[in-house]
This record gives sequence, C-alpha cells and structure tokens, in this order.
Amino acid sequence: MAELQKAEIVGTPALDGQYIGEMDIWPFEAPEFNRIYPFYDNLRAGKFTTTKCKKCGHITFPPQVICPKCWSDELEWVELPQRAKVVTLTETQAGAPLGFEPPLILAWLTFGDKGPLKHLLGRIIHCKEGELKEGDEVKFVTFSVPAHPFEVKKDTKISDRVFYAFELVK
Amino acid sequence: MAQTRNAVIVGGGTSKFGVRQAHLLDMIQEAMRACADDLPGLKPADIDGLIVATTMAGRHSSALNTAPLVVQRLGLSPTSICIRVDTLCAGSNSAIIVAKGLIESGIADVILVTGGEKVYMPQRWETNYTQLAVNDHDWDSAMGLGVPPPFFAMIAKMHMKRYGTTKEQMAHVSVTNYGHGEGHVNGHFAGRTLTMEQALEARIIADPFGLYDCCPLSDGASAVVIASEERAKAMSDRPLVYLRGTGQHATHSMSAGWPGDTLAEWPHLKTAGEVAFKNAKLTPKDIDIAETHDCFTISEIIELEELGFCKKGEGGAFVASGEIGLNGTIPTNTDGGLLVYGHPFGASGARQAIEICKQLQGRAIHQVKDAAFGLTHNLSGTCAQHTVVIYGKEPVK
Repeated sequence: MAELQKAEIVGTPALDGQYIGEMDIWPFEAPEFNRIYPFYDNLRAGKFTTTKCKKCGHITFPPQVICPKCWSDELEWVELPQRAKVVTLTETQAGAPLGFEPPLILAWLTFGDKGPLKHLLGRIIHCKEGELKEGDEVKFVTFSVPAHPFEVKKDTKISDRVFYAFELVK
Repeated sequence: MAQTRNAVIVGGGTSKFGVRQAHLLDMIQEAMRACADDLPGLKPADIDGLIVATTMAGRHSSALNTAPLVVQRLGLSPTSICIRVDTLCAGSNSAIIVAKGLIESGIADVILVTGGEKVYMPQRWETNYTQLAVNDHDWDSAMGLGVPPPFFAMIAKMHMKRYGTTKEQMAHVSVTNYGHGEGHVNGHFAGRTLTMEQALEARIIADPFGLYDCCPLSDGASAVVIASEERAKAMSDRPLVYLRGTGQHATHSMSAGWPGDTLAEWPHLKTAGEVAFKNAKLTPKDIDIAETHDCFTISEIIELEELGFCKKGEGGAFVASGEIGLNGTIPTNTDGGLLVYGHPFGASGARQAIEICKQLQGRAIHQVKDAAFGLTHNLSGTCAQHTVVIYGKEPVK
C-alpha cells in the first residue's frame, strides 16, 4: 500500500492569510456597516458619546437608531461623563479570551445617581494586578485596535479602528 | 387565546454530558435513544412537532438551520412545527414554553423538544473565543467579557458585601448538589464526590470562586416529549405531569441596562417568577422541588431569594441550614444541577424538566416524598434573561 503523503498545509487552505469578519472581536466601525459610526468618529476625537432622543429626552447607551422609550428616530449625539467610580472588580489571569492580554481587569462602574448612565462594565487598562481597589476613580481612555479590510466593488478598503476602556486616576 | 386543553410532559432522557468525542447530531441521537428508553411505546410517527434548542450549532457545528438536520437524524416527519430556538442557557426551557402554547391551542399534539451543544472545538481557545459572541458583542464583549466567571464573581462579591454571604455558605450549594448528583450516570461529573474541605480548598477560578463554585461547560443533548393530555394518556400509564405556568422576562442585553440597584439584586428574575406563579395559580410555598440555574453557587443562592423561597439577602444562611437538601423546605437541583450534571446550554432546561417529571411521577433517583409541584429556572448568558416553568400533578383549574 502506498504511503499516504503528509498534508503540506495545516489549517484551512482557502483562508490562508485571510481576514474572517465573523471571528472579529471588535465592531465593524466603518459607515458601510453600521448607522452609529459617529460614536467611533467621536472616540477618535477623544469624546465618549451616545444618542439622546429629541422627542422625549431619553439618553440611552449604547447609541441607537431609534429611541427605545418612544421609538422616535430623531436622535442627537451628546457627551457622557468620562469619570466613574469602581463598585467592584474582577481580575482574570488565566482564560482571558484570545486578543485580551492578562491580567484582564473588568470593573463594575457607577457614574452616580444623577448621570445619564447609571452603571457600566468597563475594562481597566494600564493597570497592574492588585493595583485597582473598590472606590477608585477611573477615566475614559481611547486606543487603536486592528484595522480590517472590506470590499468596495473590485477594490479593497481598510477600516482603521479605535476603541475605549478606562484607566486608574492616580 | 382561550385555553382548550392541557399540555403535559410525558418523559425524556439525556445523552452523556461532558467533554465528548461526538458531533452535536450524534449527541441529539443519544438523547432521543434515552428518551425512547424512557417511553417504550413512543414511535417516530407519533411526533408531529419538533423544537430544537441550540446556541452553538451555527458556529461550532456549521449547522445554522438545525431543525431539518435533526428531522433527518431522528427519522421524524413533523407536520405542525419544525423550528430552532435560541435563548442560550435557557434554550430548551424556552422551547417547552412554546410547546405548551402550541399544544394547549391545538396547533400540535405531540412535540419533541430537544436541546444540545457541541462546545469543545479541536482547539480549546476557540470555545472561550466563541463566548465573546454570546454577550452584547460590540460593547461588553469588546471589553473582554467572554466566559461568565468574571461577571458572576463580581455578583458574588457584591452579594457578600451587601448581605454578608460567605464562601462557606456558597460551598454548601456545591456540596449539596454533588450529593444529589450521585447515581446520575450521564452527568458530566458522574461518580465524583465533594466535601466541604475540598470545596473550600479548591484552586481559585475568579475570586471569590474556587473550582467547585463554577459549573463546567459541557457537550451534550437532552430530549423531552410534551403532549396533549389525551395523547399522553395513550402513550404512558405514569401519573400525568402538567405544565401549569410559565414566565420569561428580559430587560437588557448589556451592562448599561442592568435592572438591579446593584449586581446582587435580580429584579428581572423576581418578575419572571411572579408571572409564572400567577399563571400557575400557585405561590412559592406550594412548590415541593426546584431546579434552578446553578451556573455558579452564588446564582442558586440569589435565585432562591428572588423566586421567593427565602427572604432577600438570606439565601446564604438558607442554603447552609440544609433547606435545599432532600429533607429541606425546597429540595433544589436534586439531579446535581449544572454544577454536577453539567451545562450544554440548550440542553439544560430539558434536563431540568426531566428531573421534575420523574420527581412528580415518583420515580426519581433521589426521590422527594410526595412531590406534587415543581419549578424549573434558567438564566441566559450574563444574567440577561430569566425563564421559569412550573409543573404540577394537577392542571390549573
């Protein structure tokens, strides 16, 4: 019996070197793929924003296309507070999803009783394990994340991307 | 729509849960085989409806339109309904709610509800990676929220801070459930035992959780038959177990929408329970046995509080005093629950239903004496949704 040849390629030959959108951990931020892209443009300008309903005044996060209170589609962009307090936190050393370096520090944040945003789960970056404590103040911070290609007719465009997290106010 | 007749659960079975050397469709066939063993008279032609509950099928088994694949593998030819549902960890409990409505309204007569997941992939990292897609992906998941332990660890810390709950009290949940899991050979951790010392000395997964505070991710499948009262009588001589009332409540998909004052309060579960009790015309005091979603030990403690089995904040002392044991006021997770039997998301609700069915028919492995009313509960994902189903030996009158 002829000896079977060992496969020369390990993995998925058709996908060698290709970008796979369904495996992406970051949002598709380009205007071609969502209607809330101003959120990402605002991130690039260092602003933490969301949508407010012009009809009923309700502010929602994340930003939306229609108001979830009254279903109006007349919304405007407003800024959110950039500072929050840590209510409780968790630090992951092992088992963080691929793409997130340990220690992965997640905190339950409060923006105060009067803020448009009551609480939010936030990733704390630029922080060592054991450094963050309950009651600490954190601030909004932006950073770039990997770009992705997308097809426009016969061309391939690149979508540069940005995202946000929080860091300890020292 | 006016209710014209009653829906009952007739029987069911599960595949072996665990890290399986099997395809999703293999395990659904195993669950069907176990279900057939439980209902010897049942034939493929008896089943006119199929509801398949799965979350991972599309991504992990490349099986997006799952129901027709199950039709093929189980030799079914449904004429009333043939769908897939997905509410993550509550998949088959959601399917049971749908089946109840279809049978009571006369649209279907005999529905097979099956749920299953193939969680483990050729490379383990992919399982954790997929978990990013079960939360609000572009928001919470982009913060790194994937597998549930970090989120529930914050819930536990908050409950400990606000209500004085201790690690020892949480360990009572896992030790009790390991006792209940004994004899359930299809469970993920079948044959294992757990002492308080082992529970408290286990390696830390996410502070304050040790290994035994967390349920495993499991491959596996389960299947139950839901039928009209008339058809159930023809199929089996066992006592009838009626689907009395259901409730399902969702308020948000991501952290910014969390409905509680803090993470330790789950008002969305309280509401889901109240709706189910109202529909079932029962109160928490009437329930003899419960299968609650013990994805973590703290989850079972908070669920007992929010479902009204003990006062808010007293869940820790309640579980430590033995009230969830077989002789307690509310024996809970008498088949080992998620912590011991395992958790293939879409399979868990039907697995709970099987245990309640057997308890109410008087044929459970760890039988609770004279159990007449039972409750099942699932939460979905990072506590985004709650699903409650209440069963009884008598229908709602």
